[in-house]
Amino acid sequence: MKILVCVKQIPDMASKFKPNADGTWFNEADLAFRMNEYDEYAVEEAVKLREKDPASELVVLSVGPARVVEALKKALAMGCDRAVHVQDDNVFRKDPWQIASLIAAYAKKENFDIVFTGMQSQDRGSAQIGPLLAGMLGFSCVTTVIGFSLEGRTATVRRELEGGAKGIVKAALPAVITCQLGLNTPRYPTLPNIMKAKKKEIAAFKAEELSAEAALSAAEKFYAPVKKGTGLVLEGGDAASLAGKLIDVLKEKTTVLRG
Amino acid sequence: MEATREIYWNVGHGVILPMYGFFAAAAGAMAYGFYKKLAVYRSGKALDRVSGPADRLARAVSWALAQLKVLRNPFPGLFHAGFFWGFLLLTAGTTLIMAQEDFTARLFGLRFLQGDFYRGFSFVLDIAGLAAIVALLVFFVRRFLYRPKGLDTAADDCLAHALLFFILVTGFVIEGARMAVTELHANPELARFSPVGLLVAGLLPGDPSALEGLHKTLWWTHMFAAFGFIAMIPFSKLRHLFLIPVNYFFSDTGPLGGLKTIDLADESAQTFGAEKVNELSWKDIYDSDACVSCKRCQDECPAYATGKTLSPMKVIQDLRGSAFAGPETDIIAAVTDKALWACTTCRSCQTTCPAAVEHVPKIIEMRRNLTLMKGEFAGEEGRAAVSSLEVNKNPFGLPNASRADWAAGLGVKPLSEDPSADILYFAGCYASFDRRNKAVAAKFMEICAKAGVKAGLLGKEEQCCGEPARKLGNEYLYQELAGENIKAFAKYGVKKIVTACPHCRHTLGVHYRDLGFEGNVVHYTVFIKELIDSGKLKLKAEPFEFTYHDSCYMSRYSGITEEPRAVLAAAGGSLAEMERHGDRNFCCGGGGGRALLEEKEGTKISVERVKMARATGRPVVVSNCPFCLTMLEDGIKTADCETALKARDLAEVVAERLA
Amino acid sequence: MKTLLVFEYRRGKLSEANQELLGFAAAAGGESAGVLVGSEAGLPAFGGKLYLGDIAALGEYDPGRHAEIVLQAAQKESPDLIVFLQSSYGWDLAPRVAGKLKAAQISDVTGVVDGKFEAACCNGKMRRLVEPATKVAVLTLQEGSFPVSGTPSGTPAVEKLAPSGSAAGLEFAGYEEAEKKEVDLGKAEVIVSAGRGIGKKDNVPVIAALAKSLNGEMGASRPVVDAGWVDHNRQVGATGQIVSPKLYVACAISGAIQHLTGMRNSEFIVAINTDKDAPISEVADVMVIADVMPFVAALTEKLKK
Repeated sequence: MKILVCVKQIPDMASKFKPNADGTWFNEADLAFRMNEYDEYAVEEAVKLREKDPASELVVLSVGPARVVEALKKALAMGCDRAVHVQDDNVFRKDPWQIASLIAAYAKKENFDIVFTGMQSQDRGSAQIGPLLAGMLGFSCVTTVIGFSLEGRTATVRRELEGGAKGIVKAALPAVITCQLGLNTPRYPTLPNIMKAKKKEIAAFKAEELSAEAALSAAEKFYAPVKKGTGLVLEGGDAASLAGKLIDVLKEKTTVLRG
Repeated sequence: MEATREIYWNVGHGVILPMYGFFAAAAGAMAYGFYKKLAVYRSGKALDRVSGPADRLARAVSWALAQLKVLRNPFPGLFHAGFFWGFLLLTAGTTLIMAQEDFTARLFGLRFLQGDFYRGFSFVLDIAGLAAIVALLVFFVRRFLYRPKGLDTAADDCLAHALLFFILVTGFVIEGARMAVTELHANPELARFSPVGLLVAGLLPGDPSALEGLHKTLWWTHMFAAFGFIAMIPFSKLRHLFLIPVNYFFSDTGPLGGLKTIDLADESAQTFGAEKVNELSWKDIYDSDACVSCKRCQDECPAYATGKTLSPMKVIQDLRGSAFAGPETDIIAAVTDKALWACTTCRSCQTTCPAAVEHVPKIIEMRRNLTLMKGEFAGEEGRAAVSSLEVNKNPFGLPNASRADWAAGLGVKPLSEDPSADILYFAGCYASFDRRNKAVAAKFMEICAKAGVKAGLLGKEEQCCGEPARKLGNEYLYQELAGENIKAFAKYGVKKIVTACPHCRHTLGVHYRDLGFEGNVVHYTVFIKELIDSGKLKLKAEPFEFTYHDSCYMSRYSGITEEPRAVLAAAGGSLAEMERHGDRNFCCGGGGGRALLEEKEGTKISVERVKMARATGRPVVVSNCPFCLTMLEDGIKTADCETALKARDLAEVVAERLA
Repeated sequence: MKTLLVFEYRRGKLSEANQELLGFAAAAGGESAGVLVGSEAGLPAFGGKLYLGDIAALGEYDPGRHAEIVLQAAQKESPDLIVFLQSSYGWDLAPRVAGKLKAAQISDVTGVVDGKFEAACCNGKMRRLVEPATKVAVLTLQEGSFPVSGTPSGTPAVEKLAPSGSAAGLEFAGYEEAEKKEVDLGKAEVIVSAGRGIGKKDNVPVIAALAKSLNGEMGASRPVVDAGWVDHNRQVGATGQIVSPKLYVACAISGAIQHLTGMRNSEFIVAINTDKDAPISEVADVMVIADVMPFVAALTEKLKK
């Protein structure tokens, strides 16, 4: 079994985001980067599958500038066998179609049976790469997966639906699985595995050599949303006086404190 | 009349041969017992605890003879010391007798047990024996009648008590019998130098032949008891007679609170931390055997006091059990991870231990194994904190770029903007991100400004010092964080660092040395004391009443207890000490990474500490550690005594009194 | 501008969220047609053309053939936009359709500005304005972003479509029900919710006490439920319950989009947070900037008096 897991490195979501020079995405200065949360579930699930079959091989792939090697190293330390770095300093300008094309171009070089990735990235949040990639590779695809098991060449997965219900789906391999919170608890890499990971192969490919697909859409602006609330802000002073102010507001604007 | 006595009176010199034969057998049994232990100690890893042998020897002898460690607790320490000195003198006396009668007298005709020396010898030994009996009686009452909580009594405790009592009492009866027949009539003046013997002689019946029979019988049983005692030393808790003084020799000569720094560049390392007996050092195993379960560590442990699984004594005993069960025994299973995660690394166990057992490094070694080999955490919140440390370089998950935001408008700049500062103020995570502690940091900046000290910051180049990560066992993350800080120190040529936090102080000043940073690192309390002493900072004393909470990392990790008290006195404070203060202070519950974890088991350590502060009747508890301030305020809220007690930081008190 | 609205069924019923598609159509202007894999027994109140695939034959989850129905409708209508909801159905299906058409897809759309689309990013903290470069573009709409005014009415002109092939690759094997709800947050007039920012499980009772003092129920964000601090039946959000009480108090909830989805229609929203710029501020009527736990305790105290 050959397994591919695709990960993205994203800034910590607690960061304050400022637009970059051309105003289309965030400025990376002062941001702390980490592996996309949903991709961590993907890596964990892929590693679990890899561990069940010693003959299998698990490749982790990421598209982006030099910093994404850190995310690849983490995935290697979690148990991936080797890594592929699709080098692209301008990945933030690429749309999901282009990124999926890059991954598909690499994936076609090897015969993967199954691809895991996050259901979406926390920063771009397009939730498109998985299904687009499946389409390009001719794989079946299940999104938002919170339960996974494999028997033979059929995966049985649980999809998360609205209201807490789940849909059970059987997918024939080859397949792309996009992973959601609740699927598993990603392992913390052990120190021996971190050490081993330092010696694992990280193959580099230049993005332009893999795919020259043009963008289907372009971002023009990156900004903070206009606030929809009435925007009243209460701050300063001690907790008791603030609480008093809030009660005054509630009395004026709502009916819940009447009667 | 000559002041001496006939050695081997009534039993004759013919006993010498069988006596030495039995002695050799007893000594042989003892040697064999210790020899068997050697293999168990050797199942641990190598560790240098012998370099500088002269100093080590001097320390071992002085600590043991002065009973220094035992006397830390006057009761029952004083009785232990009394017994020790008494028994030591009796052993010395017996040895002197043997030395004269079986060696010097035989070989050179030299006898020294006579005249004034003998009179003194008699008197001292009688008093020594009496002291030992009194101490033993006190021990008996304590262990078997009063039964203090947590003191477990095993068969060997009973046997040791019985045997010692028997040896001491028969000793006096033998003396009394001999005196009743000889000295009492022949040399009554000399008999006065054996007051206890005299008393016993008076109590014995007058028939000389009966007395001689009694004497002979008891002489032999006394001898067998004494040899039995020697033989049982390695096989019972009596082993501590040898193991503890030797452990003083082996004890850590490095700075307080030192930890082994793992060499992460060593590619041959397969395992990290300790999961099995053979992953401990030989000293760890030796320590466990030196422990006599005196429970002093358990009595002072804040985790144990609040109903957690952890007892430092039990940890050591579990290690001992594992060590003697075989080198592959799983020590984490024996100790349990629940106990390991409960430790606040407050070091009170280690500070109070009369056997010089080093508890905390063992707990950290096992935590290292859990973290580095198994990827385990103390809980989800522990995992989140570690993840935040990895990504954001602070345990709160806040953007590290905002680290110096607290200093906005205070006129303090990052070294990247102005490298000409007198000191680097290493604020640490709490003072950088926690609102309460940010206010404290601002007060310290006021103090610096008043004293004409120009402080600089690292700003976003500052990262967590790594202390919580290290104490939770994550050596890898610690070294990464430390490495970045050390790089930043080097970049700006930092020489003097003042920290807000005692944990940062200890980590930067002590632990970073292993990683190559040798700068001068002081806690701000000490720095304020220096400013006052040098006349740069003047305070106007305004009277206030308070109690002072020592941070473990000030007192037991850095030996700093006087400076904060002196500064607060200079500020006009009148201090009422809590019962647990100085190097005996009771932890706030925040050390060892515990400030980042939930305290689910038992009651809150902080609430317990707040109760102690309340007991002083003072309205304010002053501390000087961000963890302590946070935990104490938590404790005050939980105990619902916000009107009766306020937690304040030393910097706030000082800043209000700048002259 | 011509839009093709992709309506959806959830568990055998028309989803109420379909209204948002109509809201979008009204906001975008121009003609619109619809496509639905459903049944004639339950059609959306929509006055235009509606292409209908038979859910009895196709099943609720067969993205391959559902996509084919949408593509057939698209071929007949030649729309400028194919619009889905950002839902478990929509985000699964939209990229399959976009991929087949090699059309630009813009996800999580929150608004339309001069023919360009505003999309949420960075966990809802930020927005991007995106312009499609393809003739037809696929959108998924963030729930709650395009409210419909009034009650939609109309009866669609139905044209039935059937896919050519059979299901390939995927087989739907049924539903697994959500855990039973003991607490009906939907009926509560006041909900006070706890977010991960309350720090620890021990603080949950403090939040519950505030809910009680307001005669309301306690809710929670997903991370709090996942951490096991609060039972799942109190979870507010896309995967929990969608609520619209008279008063919603969010305690230490930054406002992940999936949570906002669950509570943004509340009549009055109070957010207590240390971060003034947390995404929850976007929907909050009042932001209280304070350390949450002491503030909540003080508020409860004052309300008792």
